[in-house]
Amino acid sequence: MAQSSNAKGRRGAVEAKTGLLGRIRAAFGHHSHTFQDSLKRLAKDPLQTLMTASVIAIALSLPASLFLAVDNARQFENSFESFSQITVYVDNNASQKQISYIESQLRDIVEVASVIYISPDQALQEFTHNSGFGSALKYLESNPLPPVFIIEPMANVVLETNQVQPLLAKISQIAEVEDTQIDMLWLQRLRSLTQIGQKIVFALGFVLALGVLVIVGNSIRLTIHGRREEIIVVKLVGGTDAYVRRPFLYSGMLMGLIGAMGAALIIVVGFWWLGGSVAQLSELYSSQFRLHSLGVQGCLVLIAVGASLGLSGSWLAVTRHLKNIKPR
Amino acid sequence: MIQFDNLSKRYAGGFEALKAINLNVNAGELAFLTGHSGAGKSTLLKLLMLLERPSSGTLLINGKNINRLADNKIPAYRRQLGVVFQDHQLLMDRSVFDNVALPLQVAGQSRKEIGRRVRAALDGVGLLSKERHSPRMLSGGEQQRVGIARAVVHKPRILLADEPTGNLDPGLSAEIMALFRRFQDVGVTVLIASHDIDLINQMNCRIIRLEQGMVADDGGACGSVI
Repeated sequence: MAQSSNAKGRRGAVEAKTGLLGRIRAAFGHHSHTFQDSLKRLAKDPLQTLMTASVIAIALSLPASLFLAVDNARQFENSFESFSQITVYVDNNASQKQISYIESQLRDIVEVASVIYISPDQALQEFTHNSGFGSALKYLESNPLPPVFIIEPMANVVLETNQVQPLLAKISQIAEVEDTQIDMLWLQRLRSLTQIGQKIVFALGFVLALGVLVIVGNSIRLTIHGRREEIIVVKLVGGTDAYVRRPFLYSGMLMGLIGAMGAALIIVVGFWWLGGSVAQLSELYSSQFRLHSLGVQGCLVLIAVGASLGLSGSWLAVTRHLKNIKPR
Repeated sequence: MIQFDNLSKRYAGGFEALKAINLNVNAGELAFLTGHSGAGKSTLLKLLMLLERPSSGTLLINGKNINRLADNKIPAYRRQLGVVFQDHQLLMDRSVFDNVALPLQVAGQSRKEIGRRVRAALDGVGLLSKERHSPRMLSGGEQQRVGIARAVVHKPRILLADEPTGNLDPGLSAEIMALFRRFQDVGVTVLIASHDIDLINQMNCRIIRLEQGMVADDGGACGSVI
């Protein structure tokens, strides 16, 4: 039986006999087989896999959580956008006509987004209402509060420190304007701090990504060493370099994937644990701010980053070490 | 089918393993390659497997010069060959079936086709009942037969064997040789390196004797007697 099939097959090359569809199906079959095989090999040595994966998880969770922290700080800044206002105090003796003139002058400034006028009466009412000194205020002979304009600058003025001073100068030049006051200085400081934080995140992320490459690369190097014999035999029977490389690339990708899933878990649990306390704290300051965690999209991005780092790490190791394995 | 023209191989250390070899092995021929160790048998087979490149001369396989074959074409070339090793080079961490399936897997064959061909090859060497075994559980002779099944599963046109009976007793060796004879009968070109003179003489085939890197003796043709 074997002889007759040999005689038939001898006519054509092995490849020529399989149709294109069959070859595609076989390629898919091979990929899924290799993938399953890589999974099985990782499962066969759970301790080693777990150790590598947890190192990757820690290396990924560090920059990722720092990134989230900086991102939270930025959200915190944005929630205080209304605080970046300029308060303009007008002379107490200014007439109604002068006040409306000032208002039109303020509206003409390009950097000004909105102008709100608060008359002394309104201010007094508000103060009486909010401060609890209502009855004491009755003893005042006249209203000591000046007319006030609340100015909201354009968004770009809020961002750029060097544009704030010229704007203040412009406002001070208007007649009857006594004083200007801004309360965005602390916000700008916070902003600079988060910018530094961002840079640290990038630097740390870069270094730790390199670390992940090395970790995966080293682990793949050991695997290659352990499967040396198999590689030689595969090469002897006509396996291409791509064929030899494939299982290692899958293993590396899987390691990165598992590590990234671990990192996502660390972050989600950590932020959940922290979130309660932050919510309590911000309630004490009657703020709406809540710590936001990784989210589904963030998890997916993190896992994708981990998988591609794993793939690149194994690619580097495979290209470097397979060259040294030649059939005798 | 296999043609050596003035072929020499000098190793990096200056050792000249083959000196101006001229040989021609026809399609469907079974030839033995013999000689003392160090005479150049292994080097000749390595050149055929493209594990080594010749220093000078030309090597024609099926009319094609393979001296200058690009590295990325080597896998495709090796798939045309079947190779049997002295130490059989089986992978002990997988079954007999998976070992034999390897040349088909690397060629991207479908699972169905692989199953069919592997069973045909194992049937041919009389080991169909052991496809699920690990090679570790088999005897030396059986392991070598698995190696042969792997060498022929993809129906190569050329079958090379490097001391295939080196570790076997005479009875088993004769069995292995009979197998090779059967592949020759269906048109495969078979080249066997062996120093087992008694066995070779029994086969009544062409014998190429190498001595110090040169062809010392080349004679006889395969009779049908065995």
